Amino acid sequence: MAQQPLPSSVQPTDVYGGDEVSAIVLDPGYINTRAGFAGEEMPKQVLPSFYGHITSSNRDVFGDQAMYPRADFEIRNYMNRDSVVEDWDAATKIWEHALVNRLGIPRPTPPSKNGLNNKPKPAAEGEDVEMADEADLDETENYEKPMAENPLLMTEAAWNSPKQREKAIEICMENWACPAFWLSKTPVLAAFAAGKATALVLDVGGSNTSVTAIFDGMVLKRSVQRSPVGGVWLSSQIRSLFEASEPKVEVVPTFMVENKKPVEAGQPADARLKTFDFQISPSFRAYEEERVLKEFKESVVEVWRGPGRYLAPGNEDYAKNLPGRVFEMPDGSNQMWREQRFKVAEGMWDDNAAFPGATEEGKITKAQTVPGLIKAALDSIDVDVRPALLANVVVTGSTSLLPGFTDRLNHELTAMFPSVKVKLHAAGLSSERRFGAWIGGSILGSLGTFHQMWISRKEYEENGPGIVEKRCK
Amino acid sequence: MTSRDVHDVLNLPSDHSGAPRPSKKQKTSAPRLNLKGLAREVQNLGGDNPIAIVPEVNFFKKRRFATRKPVAKWELKTFTNSARGDDGALVLRHWKRRTDDGAPPVEGAQDGDGQQQRGGGEGTPASEKREEKPEDSAFAKYNVEVVVPHYTEDQYHSNLQNNDWTKEETDYLLELAKDFDLRWTLIWDRYDFTPKPPGGGGDAANGEDTSTAVVPAPKQRSMEDLKARYYEVAAKMMAVQKPAQYMTRPEFELYEMMQNFDPEQERKRKQFALNTLSRSKDEAREEESLLLEVKRILARTERFNEERRELYNRLDYPATDSDINSFKTSAGLQNLLQTLMSTDKNKKRKSIMPGEGVSPSNNSGVPNSAVSETNPANRRESIAASATSNNHHHHARRDSDARTPATPADPTPTSAAAAAAANKKKGGGAQQPERRKLTQQEEQVYGVSYHDRLGSGPTFRYERINKLYSHKSGQQQLRITNALSELDLPPRLVMPTAAVTAQFEVLWGAVTALVDLRKMSDRLDGEIKIEEAKKAERDRAKGIAAEKEGEKEKGEGGGGGGDGAAAAAAGEGEKAGESIEEGGQTKEDGEKKRPGSSGSLTAAGHKRSASVLSAASDKSSKRQKK
Repeated sequence: MAQQPLPSSVQPTDVYGGDEVSAIVLDPGYINTRAGFAGEEMPKQVLPSFYGHITSSNRDVFGDQAMYPRADFEIRNYMNRDSVVEDWDAATKIWEHALVNRLGIPRPTPPSKNGLNNKPKPAAEGEDVEMADEADLDETENYEKPMAENPLLMTEAAWNSPKQREKAIEICMENWACPAFWLSKTPVLAAFAAGKATALVLDVGGSNTSVTAIFDGMVLKRSVQRSPVGGVWLSSQIRSLFEASEPKVEVVPTFMVENKKPVEAGQPADARLKTFDFQISPSFRAYEEERVLKEFKESVVEVWRGPGRYLAPGNEDYAKNLPGRVFEMPDGSNQMWREQRFKVAEGMWDDNAAFPGATEEGKITKAQTVPGLIKAALDSIDVDVRPALLANVVVTGSTSLLPGFTDRLNHELTAMFPSVKVKLHAAGLSSERRFGAWIGGSILGSLGTFHQMWISRKEYEENGPGIVEKRCK
Repeated sequence: MTSRDVHDVLNLPSDHSGAPRPSKKQKTSAPRLNLKGLAREVQNLGGDNPIAIVPEVNFFKKRRFATRKPVAKWELKTFTNSARGDDGALVLRHWKRRTDDGAPPVEGAQDGDGQQQRGGGEGTPASEKREEKPEDSAFAKYNVEVVVPHYTEDQYHSNLQNNDWTKEETDYLLELAKDFDLRWTLIWDRYDFTPKPPGGGGDAANGEDTSTAVVPAPKQRSMEDLKARYYEVAAKMMAVQKPAQYMTRPEFELYEMMQNFDPEQERKRKQFALNTLSRSKDEAREEESLLLEVKRILARTERFNEERRELYNRLDYPATDSDINSFKTSAGLQNLLQTLMSTDKNKKRKSIMPGEGVSPSNNSGVPNSAVSETNPANRRESIAASATSNNHHHHARRDSDARTPATPADPTPTSAAAAAAANKKKGGGAQQPERRKLTQQEEQVYGVSYHDRLGSGPTFRYERINKLYSHKSGQQQLRITNALSELDLPPRLVMPTAAVTAQFEVLWGAVTALVDLRKMSDRLDGEIKIEEAKKAERDRAKGIAAEKEGEKEKGEGGGGGGDGAAAAAAGEGEKAGESIEEGGQTKEDGEKKRPGSSGSLTAAGHKRSASVLSAASDKSSKRQKK
């Protein structure tokens, strides 16, 4: 009975934390850009940060639906591999697309059409015309200020540069005319999403893995550690695995397959490929291949759970005896993956186990592995807070959804810090792990106590974009 | 007409043959509902099974909402947050349940500029609406800010100079402390002070401090450095604003704490913490097991000591120095046997507790043969003890506790037996240690207090003070009263609670001690002056002797040996004369005082003054030697 939700007619008498002001939360990442209203539990809009660029007409197209093979079509990303915005023009467009076109922020109805001014109609003709003019003016103005009523909460990587931050507030204030703005760091929000103010956040994302210590809702700057060991790096490991396996596994993206016939495991594919009468750009192909690899990651790859490393004697033999998983490529060729599926992800933990990538950048050092990052992060902060942080390790980011990831992490951490109590907090829902930072932003943006923090338009006008450095610490 | 009647008419066997009719009637008639539009007779035909006729209802179910209140109205209200400190420049909007029922529905809620029109429609001018202040956020009250010390330029220069810290850096530190609400982890994390190059900033103080042309490298500050500086500044500014003696207790404690901050110790502690953190599992386990071992060893020694004590207690045989001749006869032996028997009866279970073999003082030195005489006394005492222990357990216990150290341990079997008997009478000695030890807080809550010895009958607390007071001489009483009135305290306490009385006694002791000291110092002063005067006189006598010699040589005579003549004569005589006068006065004072002060204190005073006198004379003799 006590669990019944309050009827809408009853106002809660006690002060609970929420006070929604229809703020918008925007969480750009390398793989996805998430957007939605604060106070909701999931982002309404998740669209790829990759966008299509049609070279012939010099036009950008956004969203998954637009990514089909077409002529003169390139795939680009407005973020770089450091999860920092690189192409601000494209970023503005894609964000606007996400917020205005797709999120459907309610635009204020012009007073001439909202029906409220209909009553005192019997008036002079001239007045009417005047009103219409006014309405038109309002409408155009509103169009220029698409988000004039919604405060915007944006996220950024912990290592974002001041220049980037200033650019963000500039766009928000100048282009969209937001009434208020706030810039928050993703690990902080991820910690909030886990309900912690003090936490050690391990964010295993698409292009980066970062470890950040959060103390009382603020990033400890010295602790910020990151490495490229993320989803994209894992894809490159899978490619190396495909290269190394016998026979070589070819990645044929789905769009190229016209039809396929079932074949025995390990047999070459029997499929007819599509032919296009235009050039498929390498970027588009890479993007599509990445999708296949993503599926492979989701369904096959697993983290060696420990205890001990995968390379430790005996473990590999044991892994060989574990039941394998079959993965069928888009072209129909399929194969059973046994111990390889552990080996692929082992590089995240043990630099010796990583496949030597085709390129130099694929190589990682010991400090770039997950345990290395955590150790470095903890070593750089005060000893007094270390136990508190280790008792609140928040795991977020979609690559952390690999099966066995948290088990392994737990083993590694307890081995590293035997005398401290280590407690992991990894959300069970996959969406909560994928959108950790966004959810944290959603919580923050709908908190009643947060509204004193916003950088208001007035403050921006008085102080210029530099205020973001002063306020969002 | 019921179904029964029909049955009767038709001669059908009734299934309820045995049941009496009237009760049946009651049963059937009661629950039946009276259906409209159907004759009663027709209804009754159905008998116990009602006729399946659905009455016609010519209306639908009642409208549910007809009587309900209108739907709750919510409105998009603007609000500001006063915690922002921007005078309501940021106006946000949220949905709120409308409270005033009389107001017409919101009209302008969807307006572009977010202006909300409340109470409109009656023709209130728009300007008035515009002036209406949006309400303040309910969350503004949660904005709490930490108070960091402030200082002016002058205050900094007079109090807070530090070789290691420039003013800018101190400012920067305090600003960070404010920004991060004194969370040192964050302050240290964000601490990034780069001194401005001279001239570039245009700050006068800055120019003074960093006069070198080279940009000094930013110092690496450890968290302890930062803390030490901050606490230094905070403590000093606290003392500047409020001298230490006027601080309240918590303030002073804070002040003390900040003053006593030791960065070195903190550093060591951190080093230790670091070591603990980096212990390997084996080390941790080893340490744990070692700790366990230590605990065990300690417990074992404890037990061992206990056992040993018990053994000693058992081995403590009666060291009697009484004559054994009395036991040599059979009658004597009989007597002894009886005594032993009676003691044996008395101590049914001799529990051996530490310090139990000690008897109460009144029967410590009693010889064996006197046991029969002492026992009743013991009993009486123990009865009294048990009586008190019923009422005030603690008193009794305290009583015995207080007594035990006073009596020399001379355990004879009789006394031990007496003690055991006393314990038994008290209701078992084993009961006492089992009693729960109250914590200090609980003692306060229950009003439990311990006293050395309480006199019989009720007493007033202030009488104790009065007693102290009346013991003093009149002179001292006067002085003490003066001292108390200086402190704005009435000589007789207004509210003599236990705590207040205790405090007052402490204060009283301090005051009397001070008064005594003052007396002492006065006396010493007087004596020193007397000695000085004596010395001066002696010197003068010497000088006169020398003069005499000189005069003899010159041929002039003159035998001025008296005091007055000396005072008038010699060059240094003036000064000496003064001192003599003073000495005389103080001497008088001392004599006046001496008879006034009473009892042992005066004796002590005499003694001490004597020793001081000798010391003073020593001094003077030394001076003379020089």
